[in-house]
Amino acid sequence: MKVLAEILLFSFLVVLASAPARAHHAFAAEFDADKPVKLSGTVTRVEWENPHAWFYIDVKDSSGRVENWGLEMGSPNILIRAGWGRNTLKLGDAVTVEASRAKSGANIANAKVVILASTGQKLFAGSSQGKP
Amino acid sequence: MKLIVAGFALLIFWSSNVSAQWARYPDNSIPRTRDGKADLAAKAPKARDGKPDLSGLWQPEPDPAGLPKGVPIVESIHETFAIPRFFIDVTAETKPAEGLLQPAAGATFLQNLQSGGKNDPGAHCKPTGVPAIANLPIPFKIIQTEKLVIILYEEGSVFRQVFLDSRKTVQDPQPRWMGYSTGKWEGDILVIESSGFTEKSWLDRLGHTHSEAMRITERYRRTDVGHLEYEVTINDPKTFTRPVKYTQKASLVPDEDLLEYFCTENEKDTQHYR
Repeated sequence: MKVLAEILLFSFLVVLASAPARAHHAFAAEFDADKPVKLSGTVTRVEWENPHAWFYIDVKDSSGRVENWGLEMGSPNILIRAGWGRNTLKLGDAVTVEASRAKSGANIANAKVVILASTGQKLFAGSSQGKP
Repeated sequence: MKLIVAGFALLIFWSSNVSAQWARYPDNSIPRTRDGKADLAAKAPKARDGKPDLSGLWQPEPDPAGLPKGVPIVESIHETFAIPRFFIDVTAETKPAEGLLQPAAGATFLQNLQSGGKNDPGAHCKPTGVPAIANLPIPFKIIQTEKLVIILYEEGSVFRQVFLDSRKTVQDPQPRWMGYSTGKWEGDILVIESSGFTEKSWLDRLGHTHSEAMRITERYRRTDVGHLEYEVTINDPKTFTRPVKYTQKASLVPDEDLLEYFCTENEKDTQHYR
């Protein structure tokens, strides 16, 4: 029982580092830090609201097919204090995102870094992923 | 090193941006050094009644030990403020760990650990209770008057009222997430006694729970203008065989204010939990 608790504790601490600083949410129940994904596309929607800011991008694959991805960031409060504003990402902006995919396999992911194509500006997305 | 550079880059980015926000407004009550910066090492201020004045916007300090051992370092904003250890594990400094939990509480704790965070009330937009809410790296604001101390927490946009009017502990209370609090001064220390908590709240992220019989004693001391520390003692014999005790520190955030935070505003995660 003690050994099991220790193993669980260790694995949870690793996962915890990936959790946003807010009490919300259960990162490990939703995203897989071992499934990194790098996406480039154009912003189609921005939801600058708590508990997490979301933005959506159209991503074109090699065959030219367009898929829309939802990307979750930290809370707007954390992002504001890290220098983001609600107009940092605008509709039509070209961005590259490093993120962790959802366990469900759906086109959603938890963003780690967002790079604005126009300026090359690298923005931290407010929720770390558990992997360097 | 990469981390430190990232931290500084963020700080510079931050300081060049926040001036555009209304949340940043110079507070004339804070003593200043010659260059106009807040003098955080100045003597703690006194209130009109001669008591130390705890008023201000406070940010719980990161874990002095950094991230827990074995956790990979990630280049992100969180490494510039590692989450305070007591938010992760409220029992982190209650030694020895063996035999601390009552058997039933130990079983519940194990279940919560196994849930990978899914059992966490916070993961379902339930409030973060006392004392966990003051262990998050998210600010709270103390407003002190002679007979009433109000604590406003950005997390969940919730409040606590601490009555210093000699009223007795509440009897047969309707259980609350934030409890019922009374306070008194012992020298320079504000001692807050709280009870009447709902057993739904968690004490930390790992999943330590408590019963409705839990009583919490907090001892707040402002060591200077820029620093606040609070010693927290959790008494709950139904959960713990001994009191759980720790001291958390917080730093003044000069010239800033709370932001609004409602977890249910645009909650989209629970539907994706696996």
